[in-house]
Amino acid sequence: MPNTAEVVKPVASLMGVTKKIGSKTLVSDLTLDIPPGQIFGFLGPNGAGKTTTIRMMVGLISISRGDILICGRSIKDHFEEAIANVGAIVENPEMYKFLTGYQNLRQYARMVPGVTKERINEVVKLVGLGQRINDKVKTYSLGMRQRLGVAQALLHRPKLLILDEPTNGLDPQGIRELRDYLRQLCQTEGTTVFVSSHLLSEMELMCDSVAIIQNGRLIDVKQLKTVGDVLIPVGETFFEVDNPEAALALIGQGVLKEGGVAVGAAREEIAELNARLVAGGIKVYSIKALSRSLEDQFLEITGGEGIG
Amino acid sequence: MGEFAALIHNENIKIFRRLRTWIMLFILALISALFPALIHFTSNGNDVTGIWDSFQTTMAIAFFLNTIFTALVAADSVAGEFTWGTIKLLLIRPWSRSKILLSKYLSMVIFSLISTAVLIGFGYGSALIFSSSAVEPLGGNVMSWSQGEYVFLLILCSYIELFLTAAIAFMISSVFRSSGLAIVLSLSIMFTKDIFIAIFSPERYEWANYLIFAHMNLSNYLLTDTGPGGATLGFAIAVLAVYYVILMAVSWIVFRKRDVAA
Repeated sequence: MPNTAEVVKPVASLMGVTKKIGSKTLVSDLTLDIPPGQIFGFLGPNGAGKTTTIRMMVGLISISRGDILICGRSIKDHFEEAIANVGAIVENPEMYKFLTGYQNLRQYARMVPGVTKERINEVVKLVGLGQRINDKVKTYSLGMRQRLGVAQALLHRPKLLILDEPTNGLDPQGIRELRDYLRQLCQTEGTTVFVSSHLLSEMELMCDSVAIIQNGRLIDVKQLKTVGDVLIPVGETFFEVDNPEAALALIGQGVLKEGGVAVGAAREEIAELNARLVAGGIKVYSIKALSRSLEDQFLEITGGEGIG
Repeated sequence: MGEFAALIHNENIKIFRRLRTWIMLFILALISALFPALIHFTSNGNDVTGIWDSFQTTMAIAFFLNTIFTALVAADSVAGEFTWGTIKLLLIRPWSRSKILLSKYLSMVIFSLISTAVLIGFGYGSALIFSSSAVEPLGGNVMSWSQGEYVFLLILCSYIELFLTAAIAFMISSVFRSSGLAIVLSLSIMFTKDIFIAIFSPERYEWANYLIFAHMNLSNYLLTDTGPGGATLGFAIAVLAVYYVILMAVSWIVFRKRDVAA
């Protein structure tokens, strides 16, 4: 787990970013640092300003107030140098339908120095498009176009990979693969991934940290705990016992719940508590992680509001 | 970063990898090859058409189509990227928007030069085959030019008209992101400019002298020194140049500033 006290230079910094169109404020005073080497989630309901923020990060739309630095370079004033560190998919990856997947990749490869044919093949292999890369894009399914989109974003080995709703249109198998190679990318190449989604469960599985945005405002930034290779959010553990009152008295913490006790405890503590309960003559029927899922937390934070 | 030639190469691929482009070039070749033959077979024995007459008539007809096709390419250049949604991926490369737009503009000009070359090549080739060169001297001279020179100067004038029509289409494409609008507006200017001039004659209205319509066709100046409203060739070229600079400036300013939220 990354040490938050450690001073690391963020890959991207959003500094008081505001986007106004007419009198409507789409994103308001958003300040956020994206630390390197992480998969950083950007979570919010539809219409919260996720895509608007991402568009500002890649220079597709102007920034009304504030600035965005990518690898220390302002996207406003030094666009070409800043964007050279970025690979991105904004919304659906639209490709030239009359070209093959490979020809599409060549288009983007020509626009940056140093992308060899070997690199293109490597990326094609990574996203698993195989022989279909030589077919015209108009014959591709949405999932295949999504893969091609990831491929074009990775060609130039960007330091920051920005993916806007990358799981849209992918089947569960595809989502799983995407998750795996994003993690692989993060670990082997040190790429920082900034991924937006409104699918909470998806973010839980994928991300090291999550920023939550609603109505154009940053609400919270959460770290997700790592246990082994599986990422789970901080949560409570529920002990199902025959005598909840006695169990609560014995443990001395937690809350009484229907048929048991819920305790906020770390991994080692759980085993210890269990030993104490058993030693105290209380029957423990089951122990389960009441991991308040990110979804619950999210709904709690955003108050389950709709699009504002 | 990278080479600018690569950008033009990319844009050329987007034009020439489309079947549509080849159909247009094929039609241009067909028409310009067909007309000298038609002229040849429809004329009766006594009145044989010379090579330059045949070529000139063919070019006059075929250049209309050439202008329409080039306007089509110009109209699609920017608007197409917006329609396809590919603009989002195009603009997040380490290239300024100005350079991307320049590459688009230049590739469109390259297309117009190629299509014009096809037109001239097939038209002239066919005119050579389907005309009797024996009558050539009878064609005589036009003003101080030989007939051959005159025909090529006419083509140059047509190309200038095409060039400006394409610039209008390109500007509308860049500003309104709609290829349909770009085609309709640019071509309607081409087709209605004569009517416009008839209504707002530069002879009657001083301000009409400053309209682009009055000067798009420079071919009059090949025969006479004064054009509509007593304008000189220099004046006409100056007016066209100002319009061209404005069209380009508007295209660039709007494209650079635009929020891409397609």
